[in-house]
Amino acid sequence: MNENTKARLNGLLLSAAHKIGLFLAMTVICLPGLWIVLASFRPTVEIMAKPPVWIPEDLSFDAYVAMFSGVGQGGIPVIEYFRNSLIISVTSTAIALAIGMAGGYAFARFRFKAKSSIFLGLMLTRTVPGIALSLPLFFVYSKLGIIDTHFGLIMAYVALNVPFTIWLIDGFFRQVPKDLAEAAQIDGCTRWQAFWQVEFPLAGPGIASAGIFAFLTSWNEFALASQLTRSVNSKTLPVGLLDYTAEFTIDWRGMCALAVIMIIPALVLTFIVQKHLVSGLTSGAVKG
Amino acid sequence: MKGWRPPAPFLLLLPAIVVLAAVVIIPLILSLYSSFTPFRLTQPASLYTFVGFRNYARILTDLEFWTAFGRTVLLLTVALNVEMLLGLGLAMLVEKATSGQRLLRTIMMFPMMFSPILVGFQFKFMFNDNIGLVNNALQSLGLTDQAIPWLIDGTLAFTAILVAEIWSSTSVFAILILAGLLAMPKEPIEAARVDGCTPWQTFRYVTWPFIMPFAYIAMTIRSLDVARAYDIVKIMTDGGPAKRTELLWTLVSRTAYADARMGLANAMAYVAILLSILFTVYFFRKLAAARTQIAAEW
Amino acid sequence: MATVSLEKLVKRYGAVEVVHGIDLDVADREFIALVGPSGCGKSTTLRMIAGLEPISGGNLRIGGKIVNDLPPRARNLAMVFQSYALYPHMTVRENMGFSLKIAGQKPEEIAPRVEEAAKTLDLTHLLDRRPSQLSGGQRQRVAMGRAIVRQPEVFLFDEPLSNLDAKLRTQMRVEIKKLHAKVQSTVIYVTHDQVEAMTLADRIVIMRDGHIEQVGTPEDVFQRPNSKFVAGFIGSPPMNLKDAEIADGHVVFSNGDRLPLPSRFRDRVTAGQKVTFGLRPDDLYPAGHGIHSGEDADVYRHDLRVILTEPLGNETLVFSDFGGAEWVGRMLNPRRLAPGEALPFCFDLSQAHLFDGETGKTLRG
Ligand SMILES: Nc1ncnc2c1ncn2[C@@H]1O[C@H](COP(=O)(O)OP(=O)(O)OP(=O)(O)O)[C@@H](O)[C@H]1O
Ligand SMILES: [Mg+2]
Repeated sequence: MNENTKARLNGLLLSAAHKIGLFLAMTVICLPGLWIVLASFRPTVEIMAKPPVWIPEDLSFDAYVAMFSGVGQGGIPVIEYFRNSLIISVTSTAIALAIGMAGGYAFARFRFKAKSSIFLGLMLTRTVPGIALSLPLFFVYSKLGIIDTHFGLIMAYVALNVPFTIWLIDGFFRQVPKDLAEAAQIDGCTRWQAFWQVEFPLAGPGIASAGIFAFLTSWNEFALASQLTRSVNSKTLPVGLLDYTAEFTIDWRGMCALAVIMIIPALVLTFIVQKHLVSGLTSGAVKG
Repeated sequence: MKGWRPPAPFLLLLPAIVVLAAVVIIPLILSLYSSFTPFRLTQPASLYTFVGFRNYARILTDLEFWTAFGRTVLLLTVALNVEMLLGLGLAMLVEKATSGQRLLRTIMMFPMMFSPILVGFQFKFMFNDNIGLVNNALQSLGLTDQAIPWLIDGTLAFTAILVAEIWSSTSVFAILILAGLLAMPKEPIEAARVDGCTPWQTFRYVTWPFIMPFAYIAMTIRSLDVARAYDIVKIMTDGGPAKRTELLWTLVSRTAYADARMGLANAMAYVAILLSILFTVYFFRKLAAARTQIAAEW
Repeated sequence: MATVSLEKLVKRYGAVEVVHGIDLDVADREFIALVGPSGCGKSTTLRMIAGLEPISGGNLRIGGKIVNDLPPRARNLAMVFQSYALYPHMTVRENMGFSLKIAGQKPEEIAPRVEEAAKTLDLTHLLDRRPSQLSGGQRQRVAMGRAIVRQPEVFLFDEPLSNLDAKLRTQMRVEIKKLHAKVQSTVIYVTHDQVEAMTLADRIVIMRDGHIEQVGTPEDVFQRPNSKFVAGFIGSPPMNLKDAEIADGHVVFSNGDRLPLPSRFRDRVTAGQKVTFGLRPDDLYPAGHGIHSGEDADVYRHDLRVILTEPLGNETLVFSDFGGAEWVGRMLNPRRLAPGEALPFCFDLSQAHLFDGETGKTLRG
């Protein structure tokens, strides 16, 4: 009897500890983000107040209004930045997916010489730190005159994303049994049709999650963008954040507002595919 | 005979190879070349003076470089290990939750959506000695009455960077390990419990061997872009104060753009690339071994 | 002493109750088989005993001690899972010795016990393989070996043979029987294969929808089923169960066909009562091709038309038409029968069963 009570008590304690642990972990994860959101709604005096004002007294959209009110009135060209970011991220993701699908399919379905070395070689191109790449890339791009263009950044991001995309998509195609495509071919499809009718839909969720990763990488990239862009022609949001910094001061409120603008698309997109994301990642990466 | 037709895999891989060659390989070859010259952005002609290994020789004896190198390795080692442990803990906490799994998983992925540069600003804001959340909280709670100079003191700044880096990347580990936990068959765990294992023993002997490859995957993915830390450091301290948080990458960028010594910077970059490659190849090996084991046994 | 007692044991998943307060006493060293249709709660009950599923209500005693809240490791039992649940990353030897290693035994103590169990199960040559390198039957034996090595007080089996082919299953059934004779532990064995239950168990527990329908020796449940459900569940091919009505000392079927009401049921029914009449195929045979169990007076003869036959070699199952429904009979020393052929059949009414038409409970005294 006593033993049972002890065991039950133990269980209760454990589950309480689990709940507390979970709560703490989630708090630590969310807090920085929430703090930024909160700060974007507060007046600068309140952010700067000493002693700190914990309970916000004066929430407003002023920071957002100011941000959109155009250069000269305390605003930044946020619409241009957003447009650049969107064009560059979406285009480079689409291209990286197309290239990644071709490459991933090759690794998943064909045997060829030096396959694993080629695979590793492709992956290693991804390890080149952005900053190390930005030096020569800057030089090449200036010679070609594609500094500060969408095209230049798109190319760079495609190259950045292709290796990981190939890795993930390779895994997904391996998940799709070979028999299925063969069955489709016996049913009268060409190999090309078999791919689009059978293998592609089945690997779809995985390809979507590869796409998310590519998009997030491009959307958030800074090291290359900061060197390869110059003006509103091609500056992206991460680079735009620097507009809120001066030599010795930072406009925290404005920056927080821009940060919120930056996060929302990423958040929405991740939310949409979150169901496939975890399973996608594993089957893609592990079972490969 | 219609002449040589390239094999299908070659054709399929061609676009990838072309893009990577154009954007990564060729510039890298160029930078390899320039690392043997005293090239300065301000003096284009210097690109054609060949100085052999002089840049590398200078690096080898440069104390500043080796300090940054050591600091980078230290940062990566500590960060990767802590991220791995925290990610494991987080994944297990989330996996054990009986309700709200969907919400918990989404929150868990939250930091992945943050641009590293944003993480940098965010933590710079939070660790600000004057208006930062951390100091405000400590002071309001009465734990200290002074402003702790988080980003000004060398060690504290390193810690702050570490915290930011860990906050932003633990998700990657947590997500992959969670995926592993979800993919794991339940019966061996139950068998272990009946066989007399305590929860810890069950983890140690049954769960861990299964999720290890997932941890390696996370390590590999992370080592592919450890250099993301550059953005964070660049914003938080930019290598300062007085170069006490200088990492390889900030040093490279300062040498290249502030000092305009491209040749030297490229030589340094090559050392940084080598470091990345070492990390990645190491984990790739481990991953491949662990993966074949899982495929063969589970 | 490892008795196992379930006292009003309840299992709820949220608001759904799947085990409704079952009572069962398992004696020390007894072999109990839990049978029942899919989804009736056998596995759930077994897992509550193992400690893998929290108990929602009632008490569970092992060796007289209440263990409701104790973790599995404190219950000293071993379990063989349907999917075997071997540890894929350990060799057979490590799998079998794992529980002892966890219990803190020294390698030199573990080794002989593993060797011995391996010998019993004919696994000696496989000891250094991994589970992935074994056939289904071998894996099954390893799972058993893992349980034996532990020398637990209680063995739990959850459909351990269901993934094996028919021949291997028969073979392993014999092995399990021998094993029980040797290790003398209490065994609770879940199966949906009634042959396994009948051949192995000291007592059979028949479950249905989270209730226990009947507990009894194999002979009990076969010959004296308490309900229509048990009668239909035990026995293969299943008992003929036909709805009928009692009228002037006869059992009258829907189309007017009638059988005399056996005398032992005479004062247990009233005229006009709705009943279900049950007769096993063994007790319905072409004249001269079966065995009477009772006196001649209890055998009712009637001509039936053959619809279909299923020859099994040493016997033939004969489907024929009576009382507006199809009945299965069993023909020993078979000869060829043509469909449509009419021949005299014997109904051995001494073996007939009668169940209440509404409750399905037996009307036997
Ligand atoms: N986690 C759960 N949540 C809700 N209901 C459950 C859960 N697990 C089992 N059940 C339900 O409990 C009932 C009993 O399940 P159980 O697995 O014990 O059946 P069983 O008798 O072992 O069947 P089988 O012969 O198919 O193995 C089933 O109706 C099942 O749907
Ligand atoms: Mg079951």
